[in-house]
Amino acid sequence: MSTQLTLQAPTALPPSEVPNYLQTLWGEGLQGSDGATTFTLVVYEASWLQQHLIRTGRADGPLTGLLEPELIKAAKQAVPELGLPLSTAVMDQRLAWELGQQPGHHQAQDLRGQFVAAAISAHKPRRLITLAPTLDEGQTLETLVAAYCPLPDEGAGGTACGDVVVLRGGRGSLHQSLELIHPLIRDDLPCWVWWNSSLDEAPELLEALAPPSRRLVVDSSLGHPRRCIDLLVRCIKAGQAVNDLNWLRLRTWRESLAMVFDPPSRRTALEQVVQLDIDVEGDHPLKGLLLAAWIADRLGWHLVESYDIPGNGDGDGIGASFERTDGAAVQLRLMPVPVGSPKIHPGALVGLRLICAPQGRPPLCVILCSESGGCMRLEAGGMASMELAEDVVPLPNESEEVELARLLAGGHDSTNPLLASAASIAARLLPA
Amino acid sequence: MSAVLTNPLRVGLRQERIIPAQCIVIFGASGDLTQRKLIPALFELYRQRRLPSEFAVLGCARRPWSDEEFRSRMADALGEEIAGHGHIWEGFAAGLFYEPADLSNPASILALGQRLEQIDRQRATRGNRTFYLSVSPAFYGSGTRALAAAGLLDDPDRTRVVIEKPFGTDYPSAQALNKVVQASAKEKQIFRIDHYLGKETVQNILVLRFANTIFEPIWNRNYIANVQITAAETVGVEERAGYYESSGALRDMVQNHLTQILALTAMEPPGRFDAEAIRNEKAKVLQAARLAHQGEPWKCCVRGQYGAGGNARSPIPGYREEPGVNPNTTTETYVAMKLFIDNWRWQGVPFYVRTGKRLPKRLSEVVLTFREAPVHLFDAAGGAPTPNQLILRIQPDEGADIRFEVKAPGSGMRSRPVDMAFSYDESFGEPSDEGYVRLLADAMLGDPTLFTRSDEVEAAWRLYTPLLELIEDAPWRLPVQPYEARTWGPAAADNLLAEDGLVWRRP
Repeated sequence: MSTQLTLQAPTALPPSEVPNYLQTLWGEGLQGSDGATTFTLVVYEASWLQQHLIRTGRADGPLTGLLEPELIKAAKQAVPELGLPLSTAVMDQRLAWELGQQPGHHQAQDLRGQFVAAAISAHKPRRLITLAPTLDEGQTLETLVAAYCPLPDEGAGGTACGDVVVLRGGRGSLHQSLELIHPLIRDDLPCWVWWNSSLDEAPELLEALAPPSRRLVVDSSLGHPRRCIDLLVRCIKAGQAVNDLNWLRLRTWRESLAMVFDPPSRRTALEQVVQLDIDVEGDHPLKGLLLAAWIADRLGWHLVESYDIPGNGDGDGIGASFERTDGAAVQLRLMPVPVGSPKIHPGALVGLRLICAPQGRPPLCVILCSESGGCMRLEAGGMASMELAEDVVPLPNESEEVELARLLAGGHDSTNPLLASAASIAARLLPA
Repeated sequence: MSAVLTNPLRVGLRQERIIPAQCIVIFGASGDLTQRKLIPALFELYRQRRLPSEFAVLGCARRPWSDEEFRSRMADALGEEIAGHGHIWEGFAAGLFYEPADLSNPASILALGQRLEQIDRQRATRGNRTFYLSVSPAFYGSGTRALAAAGLLDDPDRTRVVIEKPFGTDYPSAQALNKVVQASAKEKQIFRIDHYLGKETVQNILVLRFANTIFEPIWNRNYIANVQITAAETVGVEERAGYYESSGALRDMVQNHLTQILALTAMEPPGRFDAEAIRNEKAKVLQAARLAHQGEPWKCCVRGQYGAGGNARSPIPGYREEPGVNPNTTTETYVAMKLFIDNWRWQGVPFYVRTGKRLPKRLSEVVLTFREAPVHLFDAAGGAPTPNQLILRIQPDEGADIRFEVKAPGSGMRSRPVDMAFSYDESFGEPSDEGYVRLLADAMLGDPTLFTRSDEVEAAWRLYTPLLELIEDAPWRLPVQPYEARTWGPAAADNLLAEDGLVWRRP
């Protein structure tokens, strides 16, 4: 699905006039229509990587906030040019930071908040509020407003409309705009807050935007692992509906592993797991830990201890001991591995190995990997005597916007219980 | 389904669509369907976390029950299903309400509207309403009209009506009913339910055909010699004599369930997976279907009625001895027929359809028999090579088999048939949801893909019109033939295939 622009050119208004303008718009311009009775979506759209790629002349504008293929290509080219390890993922903060140190004054039109992914507009948001911080910290607040009707699919019809509000400026001015934002969020409709940036960034703004009553969407691959997991756990404990795109991207891994044990003949092996190995790209272990935590939670393992495993130049790993329900021990090893062509997000999974030792039967070794090469390390060492179940996990080639749209479609008003359980275990797995 | 350990890694992985804020209004809430199917299905959706917190069920019937009495009766009906899930039941029951209502009384419907507004405020259901008509078919038209007159169907995006089968009793009555309901609501608001379409294995026909490349190239007259569709029941008429006497097997099973399976088996690939594209193709194939002998339907159809059977220790009464059945009835409990589909894909391929009560096994299946190999190079263990077959097992033991010839072990080159089997039970080991769980969820989501559109219903009735007219006008041309209970129907049904050199599959 292609992205859509607002049908109406956004109107630039002084911030104080926005509420009145919207009231007038709905009261008169749209014949008193109330618009879609759906939800409000508030997006913090930093797009630092895109902004720096454009500023340094590595990518063309306009700045849309969408991670288009040409931007990904430009970012990948920049990794070796800036002397970063080849394992550096496109969304790794170090890439944006290094780009920030480079000279350049190229400019492009800033259309953040005005480009709406069709996957999102299909759900007819009632109000889209985009906070678009600029590289220029001192830039004063600009507000843009437009009515917005999603283009209906062929034959779909539908006239429900919404509006978009864009707040653009330096981070300081955005913080001051909170007084403007809160009255724009209708109490009678659900409100989603999508923090589409690093969780290391502007914690006060995040906290102010997303009180527990709002449904929060974050990406725990963006930010320091400890800060990310602590935030998830804190939100869950506060009863907030929180969704993690990093967790959602584990979908194919969870599905592939569950498929291995769908045939009832294999079920008993799950009670006899003795070892779990997970390989991840780079030094962001959270995705791998969430997967390990999910497995541990589903199989009823009790965490005994976790510890660092010194690496051999590729970064340190994480080890842990679990106790199964029958008292037997399970060992976890999560190791970073170097890759030549990393995925978009830090800490993507490379492979998983689960060894089960059922009594009276040969051990069962399950190996899942993201590509054939990823299996090779896990296939080494003593697998010959085991029953081997291998599969290459399909990589979902979906944008953040599509993942978010799936959440919006689900209307989830509470945290997924699988994530809630896994997050608390992952927090304990991550060594202090 | 054998008892197996649940796959703990499977729990919670299904990416189900969440139903939006909603109030489902069930007319006929004191009836059997509500207690046996609808409330259990809604409770299952609640247990699966697929119902939002902004959800309500409003039961409506003439009985003067209170909300509490309705909740208590539904708890009794669910019985063991809520045992051990007390707190879940409490959460679900808090959204159960009851309103005495009479669809034939406009004042009663107006009062219902006020109650719905109150529930909207109380449960934040935002005017999203699904009206389920689980009432006598006589009320389908008038009930829909009454809802429309009270303004309860005014919003085509937020209100819909689910109508149970039978939708009409013949082509003219289905047309008339369509006119009435379409005058009260837009077609996209009308959900004609056929619970067979809620079955996982029926939906799997679509996936098997259109998610694989190995079947579709040979899914046509060039490779398929004939198709058999069977729905066999071991039970008799049970408690349904009153209804069954006026419907018979043709109206009760063939016009709806088996015809829907026929449509899914024979339809062309849709351009995309959406409701209209699929229903367009189903309607087209039904419009191209005809009885093998349109002008002389008695030549391609057999009606039967079960007689007594069993043995001295456990005798089975014949249909005419069943409680509530006219001892001289000519209602059929078995039908077999031969159909053709006049299009490029299926020209000349016979489709044999049969259904009956008190047959030896309970099963539903589709059997596609492929043409024979053009030259027989090998001796066959059975005298002649067995044609390849693809067997789609809809129930029980859900799955699919492919039958093909292999070399029999030994020094010669003799061939014999073997089956390559796929079993839902062995591959997934998880029970599927009841059909009503899927269909109720789809209705509340406003997804009509698995519901029957007006032109499909009319095409299905039109297909059997020559047969219905014959039964009405000249029943002696197509008499009900007796068969012993727990046998595979009257001998005439075997003859129907024998004339083409074929036999029914003995599953």
